[in-house]
Amino acid sequence: MKKYLLTIIVIFGLAAAVSADTIKATVNGMVCGFCATGIEKTFKTQTEVRAVNVDLENKLVTIQTKQGQTLDDSKIKKLLGNAGYSVVAVARQK
Amino acid sequence: MKTTTLLTLLLTTFSTALVSKAKPLSYVGGTMVMQENDETGHTISSDYTFTPTNAFGLYIKQEENGKDIFMLTPEFNTLLKRWNLPDGQGNIFNMTGAGLAHYRGNNQPCLWTAFLADYESRRWFFSYEPRFVWDGNIEKSVWQRARIGIAPYLANYNDLNTWIMFQVDHHPAKHDHFVATPLIRFFYKTYLFEVGYGSNQHIMVNWTIQF
Repeated sequence: MKKYLLTIIVIFGLAAAVSADTIKATVNGMVCGFCATGIEKTFKTQTEVRAVNVDLENKLVTIQTKQGQTLDDSKIKKLLGNAGYSVVAVARQK
Repeated sequence: MKTTTLLTLLLTTFSTALVSKAKPLSYVGGTMVMQENDETGHTISSDYTFTPTNAFGLYIKQEENGKDIFMLTPEFNTLLKRWNLPDGQGNIFNMTGAGLAHYRGNNQPCLWTAFLADYESRRWFFSYEPRFVWDGNIEKSVWQRARIGIAPYLANYNDLNTWIMFQVDHHPAKHDHFVATPLIRFFYKTYLFEVGYGSNQHIMVNWTIQF
């Protein structure tokens, strides 16, 4: 029984380790779609990023990373800063 | 050619240089190409944003309406201050350029600087831009422009954005001191287009593409 339990824990642990992140960044100043294009273009140049979505209404930038890869908060803030915006909060889900 | 005539043309030229730009900066690594077509001729300009607060560009204009002037001017754009607010963004920019104007075999030096203050939300747009032009030690000129805009509907990122705008220009050195131009602006993702009709009976057509 202990072996089965251990195997299940290991499998779930490995799955979590290689899963992709969905990162939601709440951004201030993001009011213009023309300007916000820079966010999309900036994140798409990052090798860790699979997809990015800009939601002006909810002031959200949603970033999906590739399997087993992630972006840390400081890099997200730097990239959004380079695009001209301020990050208010970053939330993550696997 | 009279210095004042050249100055007026330069003033008009430079005053239209940033009309169609949503901002004089984009994102780091971003390039913008703009064209303006108005009563003074045809302008094409491009800038490259190399830091979050700086862009460098080139400006080329072919004058029309009997004044066959060709202009080539580097320009340097700087973000002086930005306010990123929950429902809006405010900015103060400086744009400065120095270059040459070619007219009837003569090259004329020119120098200009401008400040652009704007505030934009998803519903409202306001901007004010004073511009100063120096033509050597002969004459100085000042020009100013203000714009107000309203979005009739709130568009999201992937939608066609529409703005109804009203622009007022004050050119103390020109015959028409004040020119009022109602215009409509459309943009979709990286494409911006606007068209207006001024009180001086000239059509304004501008576009911008961001890469």
